[in-house]
Amino acid sequence: MILTIAVATARAVLGRRRTILLVLLAAVPALVALLARGSGVSATETTALTIDLLVVRAVLPIVALVLGTAALGSELEDGTAVYVLASPVARWQIVVAKLLVAIVGTFILAGVSTLVTGLVLATDGPSLGLVWASVLGVLVGSVVYCALFVALSLVTTRAFIVGLIYVLVWEGALASLFGGTRFLSVRQYVVGVANGIGQPPGAPFGDTLPIESALMLAAVVLVLAAALAVERLRAWEVRPAD
Amino acid sequence: MAAGPTSADPSTSAPPPASTPGGGAIVLDRVSRWFGNVVAVNDVSFSIGPGITGLLGPNGAGKSTILNILAGLLRPSAGVATVDGRPTWRDPEVYRRLGLVPEREAMPGYLNGEEFVTYRARLQGVRDPAAAARRALQAVELSGVARRPIGTYSKGMRQRAKLAGALVHDPVVLLLDEPFNGLDPRQRLHMIDLLRRMAGDGRTILFSSHILEEVERLAERILVIYAGRLAAAGDFREIRRLMTDRPHTFTIRSSDDRRLASELIADPAIFATELTDGRLSVRTAEYGALTRLLPRTARAASVSLFEVRPTDESLESVFGYLVGQGGGRR
Repeated sequence: MILTIAVATARAVLGRRRTILLVLLAAVPALVALLARGSGVSATETTALTIDLLVVRAVLPIVALVLGTAALGSELEDGTAVYVLASPVARWQIVVAKLLVAIVGTFILAGVSTLVTGLVLATDGPSLGLVWASVLGVLVGSVVYCALFVALSLVTTRAFIVGLIYVLVWEGALASLFGGTRFLSVRQYVVGVANGIGQPPGAPFGDTLPIESALMLAAVVLVLAAALAVERLRAWEVRPAD
Repeated sequence: MAAGPTSADPSTSAPPPASTPGGGAIVLDRVSRWFGNVVAVNDVSFSIGPGITGLLGPNGAGKSTILNILAGLLRPSAGVATVDGRPTWRDPEVYRRLGLVPEREAMPGYLNGEEFVTYRARLQGVRDPAAAARRALQAVELSGVARRPIGTYSKGMRQRAKLAGALVHDPVVLLLDEPFNGLDPRQRLHMIDLLRRMAGDGRTILFSSHILEEVERLAERILVIYAGRLAAAGDFREIRRLMTDRPHTFTIRSSDDRRLASELIADPAIFATELTDGRLSVRTAEYGALTRLLPRTARAASVSLFEVRPTDESLESVFGYLVGQGGGRR
């Protein structure tokens, strides 16, 4: 059943125009990497900086935001969710199917973006190790961001705007300025995992969460967000105007 | 129907237990629903079994809210809605027995008709989804365009695709919100025929409409909803009679309004006449009585009739009257 819903969701979410736009967005870091190649700084530092700035802070959250809020939110918004909800399918299965589509879509785009960007820049062993570690960090980020944004689409009809504010204001500014709020930033989980696995020399990602904390917090957010999404979907109502 | 053969105040009668043989009993028990300060459905109770029942009322009366509550897509603020004794709110298992045709036109436009109905069949857990989809599409005469994307469908085609998606798992209960919207006359006849056949197989069908004639043609029983309240429920002919026998107001233009007024008021069937702005208003308790009395009286008084026009024939006024009747009996 999860697969049936996931296939239909993928067709709905990955429309031609949206996919082209997201692919173009995901290609930007690799293009920038081509320009930044051989800029003189150490390969590890350049790789980490480019991946962090362009993929982890931009491509990953934006792709997750678009796919995470569209996976279920679009159907709830236009009323076509009724055709799924008026069926004897457990609500958790619907949430899992929607999450899977958003996560897989986000990881394919942001993961490939990380990989290509990294491979353009990495020239030695440590920097190559960092690329693969970053891909795993982006996988964790894809899961957590998508869970957050799918849940958000069940909490508010303005999920995209609220999600954008979280990414830009909270993650972009506040979490970077105040170290104490790091545990509430998905970006920190991503770089925490990348740092922990890649163990790059120096601190190219800055002062990050330890990998154990990053993984544990990511798991907590995933479970809480998914549980919230299931509960909200169980109590979902058609709008009065319908 | 639980509310008795005909009742203008059915909300006060308790629904009987859902004990229809073979299932398909729909019960609404003292259900209310409000959105903020707006009461959309006000203490409505009814119980229906197999056959076709029409939910009649003007736009905004609360028909869709009632159907959505029955379909488990809206939480009742008070009371309970059940299908075969099972509350519908927060219980996806009811959809094994229930099919819904929503009013909203939006459909997954990226699927074609066949994919949509097959998808619905899979979601319903039908054993052979492809075969069930073919049967459902055939039943609604949509097989010819089944491979076309729904995004290119006309309103009537969408309506039939929605119906196919609702009946693909052969539900015992079918809820349809304004199912005739967008259908041409031939499609209407086909839909009526299809719903009659389904009802003949022992299904419970509840459909909403704001058009009296539609309900008249299809429903054996009706529920009249007005301003969120159940204004009347029961056999269609009885309700029709109740609607016809209500007080009517006519505006009359004649060669001598004053004389005609004085002659008419002498008859017990007329309980008010009024002359305003050069027009005569006549209020009567019986529609038929006035139509017989008026030409006779005018001829006897040598008055020529130029115009006779009913002034309150809108459905809203009819429904309003039925609610008033209900309130009067409390």
